[in-house]
Amino acid sequence: MSAPTTPDTELVELETPIGREWEPVVRLVLGGVADRLGLGFEELDDLQLAVERLLAEAGAQPSVKLALELSPDRVRAHVGPLRAATIAAALQGPSVPGQLGLRRVLETVVDSFGLDDSAEGELVVRLEKRVPRR
Amino acid sequence: MTTASAHGPSASPDRELLRRYHVHGDVSAREALVERHLPLVRSLARRYAGRGESLEDIEQVGAIGLIKAIDRYELAREVALTTYATPNVVGEIKRHFRDRGWTIRIPRALQELNVKMSGAVERLTVRLGRSPTIAELAQELDATPEQVLEAVEAGSAYSPVSLSASPGTEDDLDLMEVIGEVDKEFARADERASLEPALGELPERERRILRMRFEEGLTQTQIADRVGLSQMHVSRLIRRSLEDMRDTLSR
Repeated sequence: MSAPTTPDTELVELETPIGREWEPVVRLVLGGVADRLGLGFEELDDLQLAVERLLAEAGAQPSVKLALELSPDRVRAHVGPLRAATIAAALQGPSVPGQLGLRRVLETVVDSFGLDDSAEGELVVRLEKRVPRR
Repeated sequence: MTTASAHGPSASPDRELLRRYHVHGDVSAREALVERHLPLVRSLARRYAGRGESLEDIEQVGAIGLIKAIDRYELAREVALTTYATPNVVGEIKRHFRDRGWTIRIPRALQELNVKMSGAVERLTVRLGRSPTIAELAQELDATPEQVLEAVEAGSAYSPVSLSASPGTEDDLDLMEVIGEVDKEFARADERASLEPALGELPERERRILRMRFEEGLTQTQIADRVGLSQMHVSRLIRRSLEDMRDTLSR
């Protein structure tokens, strides 16, 4: 996985096992990034929730990479590689009325999301959270 | 002259209420007993504050222990209700934390910072008219940003799990359909269809909060204002509700 960068972006990368005991590590990294960017406490909470739900969908795979691309006005999290079938099933198509699935959660808590890489049946999901103007 | 026994029905309001409840089925007596001993529950609940649950929620769990103690109390017992209820209340709270996996021991300094956090977020949100940054919180709490993040983490131990719980296999999916979406951002959905069927067995308060967040699109702060809770509490309830929904789907 590679996250494109430009001169005014910084990249923070983390490869972590997937599992409950590692979730605090991910949350703390996201928190540190939010602090650097001046992201609001609630925006941080949204981003953490988005990544957590995504990793929960990843199921039993052993590890995942988290690449955080930081710009002054936004953070992009590239999460993957994730098992394509599981994630695609969760993200594909419009939100189903009456269901509160991953797609509906992401639509609510991040500014945009999408797929930005794929290989060998695996996907990388992109989540973007903008830094509100102060 | 009449001398009341130490455990006679008229010697102790508790025993009289217990007698009315257990002998005559007077539920108002039970309610009175609960009301009389809620301060005990609050006192015991405070010991478990700062472990990721709001004090209000811990008190509610403790109250369940109190009600169970009242229901199980045997009038023949030569023991005060408070003595009998205390281990029941503590047991109920401990069981709750154990079930939630929140038995992590958190350093006192972080517990204290976590307790202060919620109030600080509220104050700053009002003062600034927006959600505060970590740096602003740190300044407000006379702490470092790292301490703030650790304190938040100390209060957010939970276990997120898959929401979709798709029972399908990888063969069920046409991967090419998905790969075709590469580099194309998903449009934010306009429709906010009813979530009612998904909310299942959640308590009314949690159903209301999820509707506001994922159906009406309100922020946590806006929801907090409407339901009279802190933003941090709303955040925890959302996470826990998503977790509970997943549990329900898995059964």
